[in-house]
Amino acid sequence: MIRKAMLTGFSILALIVQAAGAIASEPISHEGMVKAAIEKHIIPHFEALKAAAVPLPAAVANVCKTGSAEANRALSEQFDKAVIAYAGVDFLRFGPMLEKGRREQLSFWPDPRGYLARQMRLILTKQDETIGQPGAIGKQSAAVQGLTALEILIRDPDAPLGPGEPARYHCLFAEAIAANIVRLASEIVTEWEKPGGWAEKMLHAGPENDTYKNPSEAAVEVVKSLIVGLSLTADLQIKPQIDPKIRLKPPYDKSGLQKPYYAASIASLHELYKALQLEDYLTPDKGWMKDWVAGTWRALESSDGAGGRASHAERDDPPTPREVFDRANGLRNMVSNRLSVAAKLTVGFNELDGD
Amino acid sequence: MNSMAIDRRSLLLGTLAFIGTAPMRGVVAKGADDIAYVSTARRAEGTYSVLLLRADGSLIRDVPLSARGHDIAIHRPSNNVAVFARRPGTVGVAFDLDTTRPPHLFMPGEGRHYFGHGSFSQDGRLLYASEADIGSGQGLIGIYDVASGFKKIGEHPSYGTGPHEIMLLADGRTIAVGNGGLDTVPDAGRENLNVDAMEPSLAFVDAVTGKLIAKHDMTGDLKSLSIRHVTQDATGLVWFGAQWEGSPSETPQLVGSAGPDRALKLIEPQTKGGSDLKGYIGAMAVSADGRTIAASAPKAGHVLYVDTATAKVVGQSNLKDVCGIASHGDADFAASSGFGVVRYETAQASTIAEHELQDIAFDNHLRRVG
Repeated sequence: MIRKAMLTGFSILALIVQAAGAIASEPISHEGMVKAAIEKHIIPHFEALKAAAVPLPAAVANVCKTGSAEANRALSEQFDKAVIAYAGVDFLRFGPMLEKGRREQLSFWPDPRGYLARQMRLILTKQDETIGQPGAIGKQSAAVQGLTALEILIRDPDAPLGPGEPARYHCLFAEAIAANIVRLASEIVTEWEKPGGWAEKMLHAGPENDTYKNPSEAAVEVVKSLIVGLSLTADLQIKPQIDPKIRLKPPYDKSGLQKPYYAASIASLHELYKALQLEDYLTPDKGWMKDWVAGTWRALESSDGAGGRASHAERDDPPTPREVFDRANGLRNMVSNRLSVAAKLTVGFNELDGD
Repeated sequence: MNSMAIDRRSLLLGTLAFIGTAPMRGVVAKGADDIAYVSTARRAEGTYSVLLLRADGSLIRDVPLSARGHDIAIHRPSNNVAVFARRPGTVGVAFDLDTTRPPHLFMPGEGRHYFGHGSFSQDGRLLYASEADIGSGQGLIGIYDVASGFKKIGEHPSYGTGPHEIMLLADGRTIAVGNGGLDTVPDAGRENLNVDAMEPSLAFVDAVTGKLIAKHDMTGDLKSLSIRHVTQDATGLVWFGAQWEGSPSETPQLVGSAGPDRALKLIEPQTKGGSDLKGYIGAMAVSADGRTIAASAPKAGHVLYVDTATAKVVGQSNLKDVCGIASHGDADFAASSGFGVVRYETAQASTIAEHELQDIAFDNHLRRVG
């Protein structure tokens, strides 16, 4: 009895201490936010892209050498991995991704004008052998340099990759693109991680820094990428499903990757959100915001991004595309107008999305 | 001319439109004489408005819109105002400063969209708007007849892709066009579709005939310099502000000048300045005496002041998320920010006065009435 009372007492005391600790704990600093985002999200995701890209040239070469079903299956799987890894970084549109136009080169989507197909036709018609020389593909249009171009070559049922003359130029082209994807992904990782690279630039903000004059500017950069990612997901992946007038193909449609692409986008955005720990800045009376945000992530992750239910959904009722669209936009507004303000990060109305 | 049929319901649901026709929230309208500035804005609750302000920055009238607006064209003699949906919107709203007449909704027609900017003819009979042919991506200058309820009556080519700000110059005949070079399609939202193939230019177009008078193409190291905003100084020279779409590490200067018969020239210094401005100029204005140009850089939180005679920077102020910029008095400027601040300052960046509106985020452009 006494023991039970003591345990109860200890339990209550523990709860009090725990609660006091929670109240007393300081929210993460802006420097800490940037560090967490870089270490827990940005670098791992870019390294994942590189890791997924590196096997692509050999996988393409193997298909071109053997044409076997096994080689084709391996290439298909590796390509899917690379696309899914890319979906996790698409919205990190600053620093090394922005430099030299690497993002558009890695993935040329959306493409409502069919620019990619036209550029591909031109190259395939011309059959310039120099396309296979080192660096040659990097001098071509951004449209033909990356994953979206490789998809056309590896998913073309009328001109399958394989040994023999009919596929020779397609293979030369595909191998050049695959090597270029590795180059781009590797450059981005190097530019982030090297001494004096982008990670250091963000972590050493200050008056002498040519990009980030203080840690808050660096933190705002990361928060903006989260906001951009939510907008891109809502406007480009979901909105076409709720507005029949919009004619925009889903990402990597030929490979059937619409759903995995959406899932990877949302998972990556959620990871970044968690790394930033913006909610720690909310005062106790703003608890409803945490609840709303949690419900929103649950809804976004319960959708398969195409009107159905995700296999790992926590909700029984799959959210409609309309709900996903509204939730993603609502979360974007919550981050830009409420959570960033609470965290003393001023994401400007005009700087975020000017014109 | 394409069909101009308006699906009113879809407008009200998804695009720029008036919410109601009565004047407006709150403040008593005292007539057009008190109105000194006009700006689009976002309210705290996430709604959008056109704000009519006194000279001291206080609010006279709030004109609610159903979606985000961009720039405002004003014709003072007739008190006509036209507000354009931001890129790639498809609706404009026209009203008069006295709000004596009901507002007009106008549209660019099937297969067209706006870029958020326009300009009245000197006699106020016509309104010009920067537009795109969505199918081809070619830039256009839409022409609207004010008297017939802003009915579209014609189009001129803009001689480039992605025309952004257009401005009828002081001669009343020439339209300066900032062809940003960026191709956008409403289906793909605000995504730029041709960054590595963009061809920006500053074009001068005859407003009557639509013929090209002169064009300055951005080539070589400047091929990614998207000219967006323009203004004109007292000598007739046109000044532009640009955004850089190339590698951030290679950002050039973002402000320059040119004329139909004057070569394009960037301000000094030609290095570093652009990256300090974070590659983006959001708006341009000229002082009332025509001697100083102001260029706002919202990402950097700066306003750059340039002496038109020397093309040299004479002042640089700091204001978080500043974008709207307009003349104030003869030689000074009013700047507005996304945090509701209207600041009056000299070209040497000395603050004269500051006014803050609560729960208001001023949008990209601030226009002086008068």
